[in-house]
Amino acid sequence: MIELVDVVKTFQAGLATPFTAVDGVNLNVPRGKVTVLKGPSGSGKTTLLTLIGCMARPTSGRIHLHGLPAGTLPQLAKGDSLEITSLPERFLTAIRRRTFGFIFQQFNLVRGISVLENVLLPTYPTGEDHGDAEARAIERLESLGLARHLHASVDRLSGGEAQRVAIARALINDPTVIVADEPTAHLDSKLSEDFMMLMGQFKAAGKTLLITSHDPIVYSSPLADLVVEMRDGRIVAGP
Amino acid sequence: MIQHPGVLALLLASGLVSLLLTAAGWQGLQILRGWNLQSGSEGQLDLERRTYLVSTLVANALVIQILSLFLFIFTADGLHTQFVGAMCAAGSLAANAYGYPTLLTKVATCLVAGVWLILHRADTQGYDYPLIRPKYALLLLLVPLVLAETWLQASYLTGLKADVMTSCCGSLFGQGRQGLASELAGLPTRIMQPVFWITFGALMAAGIVLLRTRRGSTVFSLLSLAFLLVSVASLISFFCLYIYELPTHHCPFCLLQREYGFVGYPLYGALLGGAIAGLGVGALAPFRAQKSLVSALPRLQAHLAWSALILALVFTLIVGIWMFLSPLKL
Repeated sequence: MIELVDVVKTFQAGLATPFTAVDGVNLNVPRGKVTVLKGPSGSGKTTLLTLIGCMARPTSGRIHLHGLPAGTLPQLAKGDSLEITSLPERFLTAIRRRTFGFIFQQFNLVRGISVLENVLLPTYPTGEDHGDAEARAIERLESLGLARHLHASVDRLSGGEAQRVAIARALINDPTVIVADEPTAHLDSKLSEDFMMLMGQFKAAGKTLLITSHDPIVYSSPLADLVVEMRDGRIVAGP
Repeated sequence: MIQHPGVLALLLASGLVSLLLTAAGWQGLQILRGWNLQSGSEGQLDLERRTYLVSTLVANALVIQILSLFLFIFTADGLHTQFVGAMCAAGSLAANAYGYPTLLTKVATCLVAGVWLILHRADTQGYDYPLIRPKYALLLLLVPLVLAETWLQASYLTGLKADVMTSCCGSLFGQGRQGLASELAGLPTRIMQPVFWITFGALMAAGIVLLRTRRGSTVFSLLSLAFLLVSVASLISFFCLYIYELPTHHCPFCLLQREYGFVGYPLYGALLGGAIAGLGVGALAPFRAQKSLVSALPRLQAHLAWSALILALVFTLIVGIWMFLSPLKL
């Protein structure tokens, strides 16, 4: 479970034009469930996601990860808790690599290299045996229906295919939490429904999913266990 | 003041290190007063962000500080030709009243800075800043020491005038005179030799016990410091005589010269490095129960103990081989 306590993120703090993107958010994201953050553009969904995903630090407040899997950090046992906003950068890097898998709105695939190479990218800093990582990447891509594109350049993929590559890349280090930022923003209805079906499979596999979206296909989906509505950086409806 | 690249580099380095450490000391005060990892307040998160930067800057400044000790000795040795009567760094340091106090303060600063770097290294192994308070408390001790050293060093270097008459090392470290240097030179070999070998043996034994049982950190630390002091005394009392092949020359600074293969640098480097590593073992001992360091700290202590033992062995091998091969027999 991810627990947020009084989380505030202010940009340009101390300057003439401060802007508070997340304002005193308290939230519990349950383990093994799908949580959707919905709200209009500028409501603070993506900022909150970057704070939870250790890509930025809050201005104040704390974020706790409870019930950690074994091997999150060498000093911690399975089931331990960890407060992530105070972590020095080297530990944050380890958490980002092993705990979170990110699916970005723009997919952020690296152009000019193949599908397989894109999926393998997050494995390189872990020092894992390349053969093992490659076998796992091929398995992930095959399960997402991308077997025939393994060695194709990502520039030639359709939007839906590119997103599935991004999903395979997010899953390659077997994270416990999948974080997706507006994942259906560039997809048509059919592809959006396919995406939610995939999310259903991951939920069934025990992954925790945290999705930001203002797409009704996502937040009205029966898969969504918890829908949190945000506006002006605050939670206005939800738990 | 004598315009010399070493003098300018030392003044510049000590000025920069003092500025950085004074600023870091202010941060240290804020941490000692307000650090509370349980709090998610803006002030606490700001401290967390700043301490990472400040610690990194201090770590780099202290590496410069440690290296500056050797630059200081090298510069003092290089300047001896400017003074009437000086034969090596011993004469240069005696050229005014600030030379030897500067050297002693630099050695003390070097030891404390080394221990701070070890605490910092250990602190970065834990995810919850486990040594943040002792680290910054030690920094607050280090700041006045560095400032005092900067003042002493500036007084010494800016007060140097060419062609002043000073003492040669044979006079400073001659037997039968007043002062610590003469008393060290006058220590009888028949007492100092067994004292040295007993201290060396005790250090090795304590190191083996520590590495096998993980016990006796404090004893090992104290023995590391004792080995430094006894070794310097032994060097002046009798090892030097074998190196110079002269039964009356006790100077610990001529070892830094080309004629003796610059052997002083590895000897003093090994002694200081070994003492820092040994003191580090003891400095870390109280924190072994910290949850976030429970696996990293014993490993770091073992590395430090090995380093201290190897460096003590290097020192002993160099002086021992020199003693064995020297045609001088006392």
